[in-house]
Amino acid sequence: MILYKSALKLFLAILLPGVLLFQMSCSNNQEQNLVKDRLNIVTTTGMIEDIVKNIVQDSADVTALMGPGVDPHLYKATQGDLQRLKSASLIFYNGLHLEGKLGDIFKNLSRIKPVVAVSDNISPEQLIDNTSMGGQYDPHIWFDVSLWQQAATYVSQTLMQHDSLNAAFYQQNTAAYLEQLDVLHEEVKTKMAEIPEDQRIMVTAHDAFEYFGRAYDIKVRGLQGISTMSEFGLKDVADLVNFITEKKIKAVFVESSVPEKYLRSVVEGCRKKGHDVSIGGILYSDAMGNPGTVAGNYQGMVRENVNTIVNALK
Amino acid sequence: MDAFWIILTGSFVSISCGLLGSYLILRKMAMVGDAISHAVLPGIVIAFLISGQRDSLTMLVGAGILGVITTFLIEFFHQKGNLQTDASIGVTFTWLFALGIILISVYAGQVDLDQDCVLHGEIAYVPIDLWITASGKIIGPRAVFITGSVMIIVISFIAIGYKELFLTTFDPAFATVIGISTALWHYLLMGAVSLATVASFESVGAILVVALLIAPPATAYLLTEKFRPMLIITVLLGILISISGYYLAVSIDGSIAGAMSTVAGLLFALAFLFSPKEGIIITWLKNQARKKELS
Repeated sequence: MILYKSALKLFLAILLPGVLLFQMSCSNNQEQNLVKDRLNIVTTTGMIEDIVKNIVQDSADVTALMGPGVDPHLYKATQGDLQRLKSASLIFYNGLHLEGKLGDIFKNLSRIKPVVAVSDNISPEQLIDNTSMGGQYDPHIWFDVSLWQQAATYVSQTLMQHDSLNAAFYQQNTAAYLEQLDVLHEEVKTKMAEIPEDQRIMVTAHDAFEYFGRAYDIKVRGLQGISTMSEFGLKDVADLVNFITEKKIKAVFVESSVPEKYLRSVVEGCRKKGHDVSIGGILYSDAMGNPGTVAGNYQGMVRENVNTIVNALK
Repeated sequence: MDAFWIILTGSFVSISCGLLGSYLILRKMAMVGDAISHAVLPGIVIAFLISGQRDSLTMLVGAGILGVITTFLIEFFHQKGNLQTDASIGVTFTWLFALGIILISVYAGQVDLDQDCVLHGEIAYVPIDLWITASGKIIGPRAVFITGSVMIIVISFIAIGYKELFLTTFDPAFATVIGISTALWHYLLMGAVSLATVASFESVGAILVVALLIAPPATAYLLTEKFRPMLIITVLLGILISISGYYLAVSIDGSIAGAMSTVAGLLFALAFLFSPKEGIIITWLKNQARKKELS
């Protein structure tokens, strides 16, 4: 018994100092960002980062928490992300529950720190609510370029308020960016019009493209609802197969964040019914592509998506 | 200061979970934490359907009620149906989780609603999730107050009912003979478990809670044969896990909950290998010595 007790003490005596030493070696490499005259802006999604970068250009530091391919619903913060949020002079997030619980925290934090939801100045009439509950808006607003322009305008107003010295510079950049988005909006409209009217139906894995469908006149049908928890039933698959066969839809679309096998069952089902439907390509939905690629910025992402859709359905 | 708040929250959670977990592993109910993390889904959906809100408080109320119902049902099936504890846990949480999925499919398919999204917190957010009064005064991180109060409740519960909990866990028959209601104390224990786990889910996320409920008591179990030292070692391990897990996360810029759970697993492995009581190495040495004696 005595032997056992002393062994236990030894076990703890070796462990504790070891851990303490480890801590000390770690706490040395915490860097502090002391450059004060530059704004340090943190955004949640890459799409918001794109707006901010276009407005501030090189005059401020901009970081996005959720990198390419990160599903905002599944995002988990790291220790570094916490430091980024703490040291940020301005935080922009999407809102409308895209960020889940983090959105709640931001809302609370906005009372003492400049934290802004870019969807805040879009009027509820322009938002899509597919539930019977009321007030549960679809958060995927960036797929309607004109709504995204409103978000950009709001970001720009906020920036000018917090950094009045650079207001003129921001104003000028915002105007240029909005103009680019105007061009993009029109371009998407003309491109989508190339698809024959009866073929303007887009089948995707989950409902992320409602705004896109409304803005550019294409019917959207998802296998799953917005929540990835609402698992589709056999009847959903059968209904969708019938729908596709009946309307003679040429292609369905996979999203980068949803497993492809879900839609495979639909494609197989259609084949059995004698209608050959192909998988039209991968769409970017909740995150952009890798930096440096075409889809690595907002405008490129929208163009890539539109090309994929038009090429598959034309 | 951030480090302090995170480690403090981690320690509070690990102490309340570890203390309750010590009783749970002795009662072969360790997986009840995982069960509750799934079984609260219908509570979240119903709370949303009634209120139309997805804010933390509403979700916490819904999840809390379902947490109590879950533990009650587990205990009920075990006591009345004479079902093994693991079977009772398995049956209860799977059908409650399934019920939640069906509710979502039928009523809320167009709303992003699941535990990960609306209930589970993240320990990294502790320093920025502040409690701010109506006048704009910052009182401190919300999670510290929530997990701190839970810890005080759990410690007082165990301190007040120590004898009863001890007897009903180790020798229910004897406890009944001397007039302690086994059923009552088991329900009370399970109630405390559901309170501690649901509140901790909301503050630090599910994985960490499930890990801290089992790993520290299991490690302590390997290191001692007596119950009181087991509780004390569990508490010390919990604090150790919070501190070292946090700094591990800092050094690799990774998930804090993940790093803490990893440290918990490593400590268990160390105890498994080097425990002076039943560690692999001690057992091996003893066997060698015995072989020598025989030959």
